[in-house]
Amino acid sequence: MTELTLPMHLGTSPPLAHGAQHQRDFADTEPAPAQTLAIAFTGSGSEYFRIWIVNLLLILVTLGLYYPWAKVRRLRYFHGNTLVGGRPLGFHAKPWKMLKGYLLVAMLLALYSVAGHFHAVAGLVAFVAVMLIWPALLKSSMQFRLANTSWRGLRFRFTGDLRGAYAAMLPLFVPALCLLVAGTFVADQEQPPLWYVNVTVGVMLGLLLLAPWLFQRLKAYQHNHYALADQHTRFQATVGMFYKLLAEMLVVYLAICVVLGVAVTIAVFIGVVVLGVSGNPFTQTEYTKSMWLMAAVVAGFVALMLLFVSLIKPYMVTRLQNLVWAHTQSEDIRLHSKLKARAMVWLSAKNWVLVVFTLGLYWPFAAVARARMQLEAVSVSSRVDLDALVSHARNHEGEAAGDAAGDLFGLDIGF
Amino acid sequence: MPSTPTATPVLAGLYFDGQQGKGHAVQLHLGSTQLRIVGEGINRTVALRDLQWPERTRHGIRIAHLDGGGSVQSADSAAWDAWSHAAGMGDSWVVRLQQSWRGVALSVLLLITLIVALQQWGVPVASRAVVALVPRTVDAAIGDYTQAAIDAQLMKPSALPEQRAQQLREALAKAVAGMPEGTVPQWQLLLRASKMGPNALALPNGTLIVTDDMVEMVDGNVDVLVGVLAHELGHVQHRHGMRMLVQVTALGALASTVLGDFSSLLASVPVLLGQASYSRQAEQEADAMAVDVLRHAGLSPTVMVTMFDKLGAWRVRKAQEERGKSPGPDTQPSKATQESGGDALDWLGIAFASHPADAQRVQFFQDAARNTVR
Repeated sequence: MTELTLPMHLGTSPPLAHGAQHQRDFADTEPAPAQTLAIAFTGSGSEYFRIWIVNLLLILVTLGLYYPWAKVRRLRYFHGNTLVGGRPLGFHAKPWKMLKGYLLVAMLLALYSVAGHFHAVAGLVAFVAVMLIWPALLKSSMQFRLANTSWRGLRFRFTGDLRGAYAAMLPLFVPALCLLVAGTFVADQEQPPLWYVNVTVGVMLGLLLLAPWLFQRLKAYQHNHYALADQHTRFQATVGMFYKLLAEMLVVYLAICVVLGVAVTIAVFIGVVVLGVSGNPFTQTEYTKSMWLMAAVVAGFVALMLLFVSLIKPYMVTRLQNLVWAHTQSEDIRLHSKLKARAMVWLSAKNWVLVVFTLGLYWPFAAVARARMQLEAVSVSSRVDLDALVSHARNHEGEAAGDAAGDLFGLDIGF
Repeated sequence: MPSTPTATPVLAGLYFDGQQGKGHAVQLHLGSTQLRIVGEGINRTVALRDLQWPERTRHGIRIAHLDGGGSVQSADSAAWDAWSHAAGMGDSWVVRLQQSWRGVALSVLLLITLIVALQQWGVPVASRAVVALVPRTVDAAIGDYTQAAIDAQLMKPSALPEQRAQQLREALAKAVAGMPEGTVPQWQLLLRASKMGPNALALPNGTLIVTDDMVEMVDGNVDVLVGVLAHELGHVQHRHGMRMLVQVTALGALASTVLGDFSSLLASVPVLLGQASYSRQAEQEADAMAVDVLRHAGLSPTVMVTMFDKLGAWRVRKAQEERGKSPGPDTQPSKATQESGGDALDWLGIAFASHPADAQRVQFFQDAARNTVR
């Protein structure tokens, strides 16, 4: 009665959703029996709420020292409720080890943020130091996270090397570095010389043009180096695909800007014409009135900004997830992601409203709903018997400090 | 399952050896110090300290991770929990708290209380303690650096005669001479011309800067300027610049712990509000210092009321000049916002209440004046 009664039996493979395409993609000499594994997420918002609130309380009471334990508990809950073909993911990092990493990185972060307050040059030095450490931390972070994640008792691995990390990440710092260096030559920040303005605009334009390429390199570094047992992932999304995505984003962005512009114009029009704020604004009542009006316009604008954030970000997340995961495959296993942008945008808008109105208490429900939608859009197909996956590799766990850096510096390791 | 001391509880589960993806159906025998895994061709004993035991949750599959790789699992959570309970394994108190609605309700209450208490008292007290540990030389260094920066960017040499500055210095020195020892920080006074309008600043190194516009606005009334400078001295004495730095950092950490996972944009809202409330408290502390100094110097706190009146009048004049209108009757707007003036975004100051409403501060000085008169 305690055997797992989940629909995952190899050999009796369920009908393939992507069968035909599959055979083509896996151009192979012998047609291997393929199977598709669905991903199910079984976590519940109310249960995660309980975990979250107790975690939060303990973090505050211990002045943050409890954080690694809280994080391990959260990840164990989310991993344990992510069933890939009926088998859960596992997370087994040791909180004590993570605590050491956190203390180390917290010190680094403190030095970094203090440095900027004292002197521009000190800030520049700190930035360069972080820039030089960051790729190593990213690699370490990926290693740590994957080595502590398992499926069917097999531990994941991250096989990227240090050199690759630097090659993928250092270019990301160049634009900011250009600006910082140029900034040290500017005497008066209030009235920057024309050349500085030109440099800034040039760097921004260059960044926009290069962003898809830079991002593809970063994703390629990550997605080329996941491994499970004898499977090693390859990333097949080309730079062109990322440029296409950027073009699409710009169109959506412009459309939203037009809508926003029209909305603000209407708001101001209503303010001026309907409420009649035209008289002398310096008599007492008119002054107050115009202030309230201004406040109303600003509040409306902030609300629109929130709407904007709640619309564009999930749309981008959706498109990126589909692009990145659908183009990640190993020798015998490939992933599919069919996340629906409309559903994600709607969910995100709903989550925003509820989180704001509950002053944050809805957040765990939102997190679970989002995880469910994102995870259940992914499926896995394999042409090998997963029972036969065999691991020969030894695990290198990496340093917990990397993982901590990912959290504290807001680095998205995207796994 | 019966739990007699001799029988080890047994559970049917799934064993992954860490080398292969295949799950083996096994019987799990749980002793007090070890777990025995028995199945077809499998007989393995693992010490419990080499296992990561799962916590009780209502959803999800129970997995115990073996330290060297591999795991034992069971989708039947109820059976797993009964089994481990029978072997004498209990829940940690954290899990018990999470799984009882009373515990969760209590946590919500405690959390809200804690956040309010931290914002109200915890962060200010902690920042005071942290700043107390920081030597004054750090204040001086930061102040020197800031002074150089704003002198280069915001200030020009004063157009007023040097004897004006000297006169002010002497007046302030005389005013603070009566104060008890240790309540007045080191200071030096500078006059500067600036686009920022009538204003007075205090830097952490004890430098007080008064703008020419300020001197002109109060018609050079030395008593009023002494009041303003005493207020600024209060900022230096209480090390408000340093404390604000610590407070905002601490508040930011607090907010991003609570809300940062969701949105750093949203997490910045409470920081902004909290910062406004701290700077309100700082203004009150500085006002109290001003009253203190004025009283010891035998001056009436009403000089500060004069300052607010002049500031209000100055704002009206300025606004009318900007609109190119002829100056009307000298109306006194009660909605004047800050002691600095002329900023088009000043009304934001009201929205975020970074300064106590002027009316309130005027009231404070009037009350102080009444109490001073015997």
